[in-house]
Amino acid sequence: MRNMKKILSLLLILLLIFSLVACRGTDVVKDDDGVVEISGEDEKEERPYEGTVLEVSVAYGGAENSFAQFTEETGIEIEWVSMSTGAKLSQLQAEEGETTTDVWFGGGVDSYINAIKLGYLHQYKSPGYANIDDKYIDPEGYYGALAIVPHGIIINDDLITELGLDVPETWQDLTDPQYRGEITMADPSISGGQYAIHSGLIQAMGEEDAWKFWEAIDKNVGFYGQSGGEPAQKVAEGEFAIGLTAITGGTFGLTETAPVTPVFLDKVPWIPAPIAIFENSKNKDAAKAFVDWYVSDHGQSILKDADARIMANRNVEPPEDLAAILDMDKLIDFDLIKMGSDRESTLARWAEITGE
Amino acid sequence: MNRNTSYSSHFEKAIIILLIIAFLLFILYPIAGLLLRSMTEGGEWTLYHYKDLFQAKNMELIRNSVFVATLSSVLATVLAFGIGLYAHFRKAGTRNFIYRALMMTMISPPFVSSIGLLTLFGRRGLISYGIFGATLNPYGWHGLVLLQSISGISLSAMFIMTGLSQLDSRLILASRDLGANPWETLRNVIFPAMIPTILSVLFLQFTMNISDFTTPIIIGGRFHVLATEAYLRVYAQANLNGAAAMTVLLLPPALIAFFFYRKNLQRTDTLSERSKLLDVDSINFKLPKIVTFISGTITVAFFILMAVQYGNLFIQAISRNVSGSLVFTTDHLNVFQSRHFDALLRTVYMAVVAGFLSTVFGILLSYYNKRRQIPGMQGVEFIGSLPYIIPGIFFGLAYIVVFHRGPIAMTGTLLILIINCIFRHISVGNKAANAAFENIDKKLEWASYDLGTSKLRTMLTVIFPLIRPTFLVSFINAFTACMTTVGPLMLLVSPKNLVLSVMMHGEVRNGQYGQAAVMGVALIMITFTVNLIAIYFMTGEEGKVQ
Repeated sequence: MRNMKKILSLLLILLLIFSLVACRGTDVVKDDDGVVEISGEDEKEERPYEGTVLEVSVAYGGAENSFAQFTEETGIEIEWVSMSTGAKLSQLQAEEGETTTDVWFGGGVDSYINAIKLGYLHQYKSPGYANIDDKYIDPEGYYGALAIVPHGIIINDDLITELGLDVPETWQDLTDPQYRGEITMADPSISGGQYAIHSGLIQAMGEEDAWKFWEAIDKNVGFYGQSGGEPAQKVAEGEFAIGLTAITGGTFGLTETAPVTPVFLDKVPWIPAPIAIFENSKNKDAAKAFVDWYVSDHGQSILKDADARIMANRNVEPPEDLAAILDMDKLIDFDLIKMGSDRESTLARWAEITGE
Repeated sequence: MNRNTSYSSHFEKAIIILLIIAFLLFILYPIAGLLLRSMTEGGEWTLYHYKDLFQAKNMELIRNSVFVATLSSVLATVLAFGIGLYAHFRKAGTRNFIYRALMMTMISPPFVSSIGLLTLFGRRGLISYGIFGATLNPYGWHGLVLLQSISGISLSAMFIMTGLSQLDSRLILASRDLGANPWETLRNVIFPAMIPTILSVLFLQFTMNISDFTTPIIIGGRFHVLATEAYLRVYAQANLNGAAAMTVLLLPPALIAFFFYRKNLQRTDTLSERSKLLDVDSINFKLPKIVTFISGTITVAFFILMAVQYGNLFIQAISRNVSGSLVFTTDHLNVFQSRHFDALLRTVYMAVVAGFLSTVFGILLSYYNKRRQIPGMQGVEFIGSLPYIIPGIFFGLAYIVVFHRGPIAMTGTLLILIINCIFRHISVGNKAANAAFENIDKKLEWASYDLGTSKLRTMLTVIFPLIRPTFLVSFINAFTACMTTVGPLMLLVSPKNLVLSVMMHGEVRNGQYGQAAVMGVALIMITFTVNLIAIYFMTGEEGKVQ
């Protein structure tokens, strides 16, 4: 029983350490507040929403690293929760759109399109949209765009060498029998990103060729993942040699901890990471200020620092490591509306091929 | 005296009525609300989502679900019985150590066991590939059964240890005195007396496994089960109504399981009713050698597996895997900011309150149904089992559907999380108490009534003290489950009532395993600490199980 006491006191010590770490966090925030108040005196005019709290539903990995900067500059506080856009849309349906959340940040554009149909989103055309290509945003102004997420593959260098495989250069290469069982991709009916690859390649290759391709690659796929992030993880862990994936700052993060390399193939499907205000929001003015900030040149570069992506705003340079491997001309010509309307028929045909 | 009795009988009636109202309001009403919603589309009544319900594909899913849930729960129960048996006939020190170790391994933050085991036994697992050089393919029903059984063992073994501790060891003595060898004693005395506990464990495991959707996602591969398909319809396709309709298919197997459980529980009524007068420590009974060997092997193997799995988590929390070699770092600890600390405090508060009330309600329900046989309570008990049968995410959605507006609007509050947790876990305390009451002599209460004590007073002063171990095991389970479950809370959280398990789930989804591991370790340590405190208070002395 004396051992028990030792264990208990050890646990208590660890608890204390945790609370110290946590306190340090609080202190930093307080310091920031102090600084803000001193410099804030003569900026009152520009800070009409000081102290307003915005609730944000986030589906944009790494975005939280930019919230402190936004709060420091505007005085608007951010409370956020990370939730996939599909789950958020289910939640919205369950509460009939009466959400307490103000802003929807990132995620799958198809959920946004459905939410518009159900009347859950607020129409707002930010002045900053002028710097964003029209094809990235909703023509009616229900959603804007934060970034462009390009899709390609991630390969495990060790496994490629060990198994004596060639590094694929085109989508067609992936159908080569040498990759049998070594490819993983997400189930497109679950992952919005994987669906974008499907839909994008159908639009870029043409119906017939694209379906021949998907039929051929099915023979090489060893595992269909249940979320968009899973293939990259499995490749990093060495379970599979090649994974179809979105390529973002997080993908480059993986290269630091695992022998993996992101690769873009001959055609690059993409989706925008959208942003929108909820119709039920009680803080629409602050929410608009939030959207304005995040699509402005300044906000976009802060967000790029938080997670390196190709930003929607054309005035912001793409991140170096992405620009080094991505030829922007390879981005396919992508009709998002068609992508949305073809979803059911595309997925039905895919299910037929794979029996998933 | 008379007035006193009638006062307390009114008081008792009030308790029963409140209990029934609570079950109707917080279990039946939300579930009915969700099902009604699934029968509307664009504001109109339709059975659109139900017309294809019985198509071949869904039938295959339900077959898969029942197959896996049955196999996993039987396997978990058998292995847990081995561990429980082994532990029970060891010295008190070893027994208490095993009990505490089980309490620790029961704490399973989201995805920890699945990911841990994949790391070890996956296609390039550290053990399967690293040591034996074998490329196993764990994806499929076999991996699923293995994972579900392993994750069910801790709770089941704790239940079985509690059940064994409530056995009267005089029976074992009597059996030996009459010339029965240890093997016959085990088969004819110990095993029959344990049937109520085993049934409870089987039922709980079955309902948990059939509604489990996280394990199949990670390990199921091309093998699909109903709970996962329904979950994915919500999570990925936002097809709320279609998914809700699908969960209806889980009800028939659950109903069958429930009646199987009730029927067999009643049949054993007369077999095992006796009170415990003698501790196991005071007798000299040894299990047959072969049983000791097998159960000992199971126990050791289980704990080695757990040690590797949890060791893996702790290492992930303080290291980075750089090109195949481990580098220690404190980077992940830095992510634990004030936001996480708030969430952690909130989680602990929620889990303590919910764990306590859930246990109280569960035991009261068992007392009025099983013990006092009050008519209609059996129906209430089935209602109480429902939240465990439907996949967690739907119990969360059901709350959103009925509590987002109107007189009891409470979405986005901490209260809704607490209430949801209370009613989700009632089944555990309830089934544990059902098993415990089987082994407590009714004559004790009759004696108490004869001496003029009211029923309420008897319940408080005679019955409750006798089932303290049951109270403890179900509090520990409910508390632990509230600390770590994600399913029902996933959609109930808003930024204002975030809890740590949901944040951890988010980190896993974003592939931030290091940070997720830090949260996992925090959850484990705090849950374990609170459980130790609970043991301390419940036993009144330093940590003796019985």
